[in-house]
Amino acid sequence: MKKLLLVMLLMVGVFALSACGDEEVDGKIEVTFWHLSPVGDESYSQVKKIVRDFNNSQDVYYVNEYGFSFWDYWDKLNIAVASNTAPDVGFSTIDDNVHRAQRNVLFNISDFIAADVAAGIETVNTNSFYSNQLGFLTYEDDLYGLPFTATTRMLFYNLDHFAEVGLTADDVPTTWSELQVVAKQLDIVDGNKIERIGFDPTFGQGTYMGYLWQSGLDYFDDELQVTLNTQGHYDVLDWMVTFNNEYSRSQLNSFGEANTILGIDPFAAGRVSMVVGTDGLYQTLLDYDSTMNYAVAPIPVPDEDGVRVNWGSGFSLELYKNGRELDEKAQGAWEFSKYLMSVSIQVEYADAVGWIMGNTEAMDIVAEGNPIITALVEECAYAVDKLFVPYAPAWHAGDWFQYYDQLKAGDATVEDTLKDAIDWYNEKQTNYNATQ
Amino acid sequence: MATQKNKALGKLRSEERVLGYIFASPWLIGLIILGVFPIALSFYLSFTNYDMLGAPGFIWFTNYRILLSNDSLFYTALFNTLYHVAISVPLGLLVGIILALLLNSKIKGMGIYRTIYYLPNVVSVVAMSLLWLWLFQPSFGLVNNLLSPIYNFFKMEPLLWYQSSDMSKITLILMGLWTAGGSMIIYLAQMQDIPSELYEAADIDGANGLQKIFKITIPLMTPSIVFNFIRGLIGGFQDLTVSYIMTKGGPGHSTYYYSYYLFDKMMSDNAMGMASAMAWILLVITLVITMGALSLNKYVFYLGDQS
Amino acid sequence: MEVNKNNEKIENNEVEITTNVIQKPFMTRKRKKLIHDIIIHMVLILFGTMFIFPFLWMLTTALKTNSELLQGTDVLFPAVPQWENFRLAIKAVPFFLYIKNSFILVFFAVAGTLFSSTLTAYAFAKLEWPGRDALFVVMLATMMIPMQVLLIPTYIMYAKIGWLGTRLPLIVPFFLGGGSAFYIFLLRQFFKGIPKDLTESAIVDGASHFKIFIKIMLPLTKPALITVTLFTFMFVWNDYFGPLIYLSDPDHLTIALGLRAFQSQYSGRYNLMMAASILTMLPTLLIFFFAQKSFIEGITFSGIKG
Repeated sequence: MKKLLLVMLLMVGVFALSACGDEEVDGKIEVTFWHLSPVGDESYSQVKKIVRDFNNSQDVYYVNEYGFSFWDYWDKLNIAVASNTAPDVGFSTIDDNVHRAQRNVLFNISDFIAADVAAGIETVNTNSFYSNQLGFLTYEDDLYGLPFTATTRMLFYNLDHFAEVGLTADDVPTTWSELQVVAKQLDIVDGNKIERIGFDPTFGQGTYMGYLWQSGLDYFDDELQVTLNTQGHYDVLDWMVTFNNEYSRSQLNSFGEANTILGIDPFAAGRVSMVVGTDGLYQTLLDYDSTMNYAVAPIPVPDEDGVRVNWGSGFSLELYKNGRELDEKAQGAWEFSKYLMSVSIQVEYADAVGWIMGNTEAMDIVAEGNPIITALVEECAYAVDKLFVPYAPAWHAGDWFQYYDQLKAGDATVEDTLKDAIDWYNEKQTNYNATQ
Repeated sequence: MATQKNKALGKLRSEERVLGYIFASPWLIGLIILGVFPIALSFYLSFTNYDMLGAPGFIWFTNYRILLSNDSLFYTALFNTLYHVAISVPLGLLVGIILALLLNSKIKGMGIYRTIYYLPNVVSVVAMSLLWLWLFQPSFGLVNNLLSPIYNFFKMEPLLWYQSSDMSKITLILMGLWTAGGSMIIYLAQMQDIPSELYEAADIDGANGLQKIFKITIPLMTPSIVFNFIRGLIGGFQDLTVSYIMTKGGPGHSTYYYSYYLFDKMMSDNAMGMASAMAWILLVITLVITMGALSLNKYVFYLGDQS
Repeated sequence: MEVNKNNEKIENNEVEITTNVIQKPFMTRKRKKLIHDIIIHMVLILFGTMFIFPFLWMLTTALKTNSELLQGTDVLFPAVPQWENFRLAIKAVPFFLYIKNSFILVFFAVAGTLFSSTLTAYAFAKLEWPGRDALFVVMLATMMIPMQVLLIPTYIMYAKIGWLGTRLPLIVPFFLGGGSAFYIFLLRQFFKGIPKDLTESAIVDGASHFKIFIKIMLPLTKPALITVTLFTFMFVWNDYFGPLIYLSDPDHLTIALGLRAFQSQYSGRYNLMMAASILTMLPTLLIFFFAQKSFIEGITFSGIKG
């Protein structure tokens, strides 16, 4: 027994030692990069190649890359940032970049750019990024992240379904009233059971805030006070849940659940003819080997005065301080960031992962000859990100969904939903302020 | 003979005062070097506004005050959890015991049966939750299809299961019973320690199967029953996975459990200080209830205490 | 007759315990037993379908094509079972490396848990020492703090002692009773069930507590030790979160973590994911199957006067 324990302890020691060995970096400065393509993901080998090419291209820095599944990455990153063990460079989300900038966990990108300019070295060209994204990455006039990718939302419509009822791509709706007319023609109902639905504002990636923006309204005012109390706010929400009023909420819900329960996409499955989707839906259709004829168009607006706008976010490239001041590692991370943001590497990365990249020059190359990507890239210019609200960072998600879901289930009125939501945001704000 | 025994026992009793610490040392050392720091730090953080990015600012009892007096979800979540624990723990005990009694029979293929009943503990929770949603979907799910003759007979509306705030907690509790195979295995293990003489003696007295179960098996299983009871209590207060995957806390917060709220405070609101305060409040609640449950120990039949 | 055979097998293992009890096979009415067995079979099969259902669903999903996945519940069974998916799943990730890494962690975790929890449980069950009951409550209390809030403090601690990126945070705690408070509690319950006569007669013969622990307690609570082994195995085998936050090197990744690569941001390759999940379930199922074999009723310490 004792011998056995001794052997075990020895083996533990061996493991501890073996954990720090095998380096093939010969004197180079090591930089750590975390990304979203884990081993086993189809994109991993290409991302690995991109990093290897960088390492081979120069002899000062050596980048170690580690990929994690999208569903795990954020936990890993948040814990690491909290304990000053974050990677030198990694992906994060654009909309809450300002929070990290405020808390001083990120290196100032503008400083790097200024230093490059002063030294006469080539640096990142911010003119090729979407200005709206740069706005979200700016805190006190300085950049604290680079817009690595962009996302957007558009109306995806099934041309096969259109053809069935004698419609063509020319008939794609541009306003909410046209949307209603077209959608109704595409519905298929068998007795009490909905077989197919033309469109529903609450399906897919349609969001209340997105429809509000299209109507020239907003969720919060400039002081981050919630503003859901006007007739306009009421009307938009009411439109969303009464669009398919001829069906009961339970009919619509069971139709919706039939799609989502097993994690399938209703549009990809041909059960919804038109849906608001992100560029991710394009990827989903590719992944499932879909043979459907479809096209994309800007999301229809409320009326002629409606605003062409959609919710789009993206991943930022950020350089983590980990409690240090500027040093060689940070310089290496910056060199590598410039490489990742360059046109040719952005093209390669887009090819690997299928994202829309933040560099518009690169996307012009990627989109060439592909009408869907071309349209998606064009629409990114109309994308707006959601605000970071310190007292309710998940204001658009959990905080809102708890009331929105009840409304969709038919258990609450539009009026009560808005009133309850306002009360909840106000309570959160009061409680948050009390802790500051 | 008796004196020799008493002498030996007496000597050992005095040694035990030290030996106890030596035998418990793996855990004790672990508690001191690996446990104390994280526990103490999380206690400290419960008095701060730590947001996982900046330095924690000390705000005394503000988190506790807000939670207890100015948070409209706190008591909802606490009630949901108490409700869940109050029903799921006894029900889980019952199902576990019944499974164990059934699967302790000496019939052919018992290994296969036991493995099948244990299977839900092995398959992924996500897969199981999605399947459960599908089975219980009110309008096209299998369960309501099977029950429709009953609905028709009583002329009642089909049950809405997880979609109605009245039924959602029960639906999740029923799903929890699927994994009763976990406690079953503990009961089975305990049943192996029941001396067969007891059953033989009962046979001679002409006891039937049920009598043997209630007079011998169940009393001698009480150590595991208490164990599973307390494990169920502590686990039940921290359970959130199923609600997180299946109902997202809804509908209308009916399955929004305490630990789910704690998780949201931490992951959605970055309010780590507040989440820590919630954890320490939960500790107090669980501890009080567990101490109450431990007092049941006097009804537990430990063979080792008998002579 | 079968019962008797098993009895002999087990008793041979219990070297220390003398057995001179005459087993009286209880087979009065054969027919009654047959009816009884048939009823039990029927009940077990009826409810068994419910319990095997999730597994069957995983299997049919694993055998679907991509386009069949899209149809969701409309297509329950794949037209042509895609056994190929199992091969693809193994090929997509370094499957056997991950399995090996998982086994390394499992081995140490099981060894560590058995080491620390049996000793500690013995102290709580059979020894009288000052502070015992208070510490027992402390031990239970450590399980009552939700893991989430200890996560960052624990991580910071391992970062400070330089264990990040190594397997140590996933191994060492098991040797120090980390996360095994429930097992200590479980074993304490079982140790307390060992009759006093046995330990006291050993004491009279001059045995030390360590000897009693090794020679009497451990052999007599084998079903409980097997249960603890099974639970620890399952916990470590299925845990992806610990390896996620503490490991970085792709060569150290475990199977539970590695499988998560099949879920990308926009689309899950559910068929491959299920195929790989089934493959990783197999070791657990095998271990369960063999573990439960040693669970045969009421024979462990025949020979003890009641």
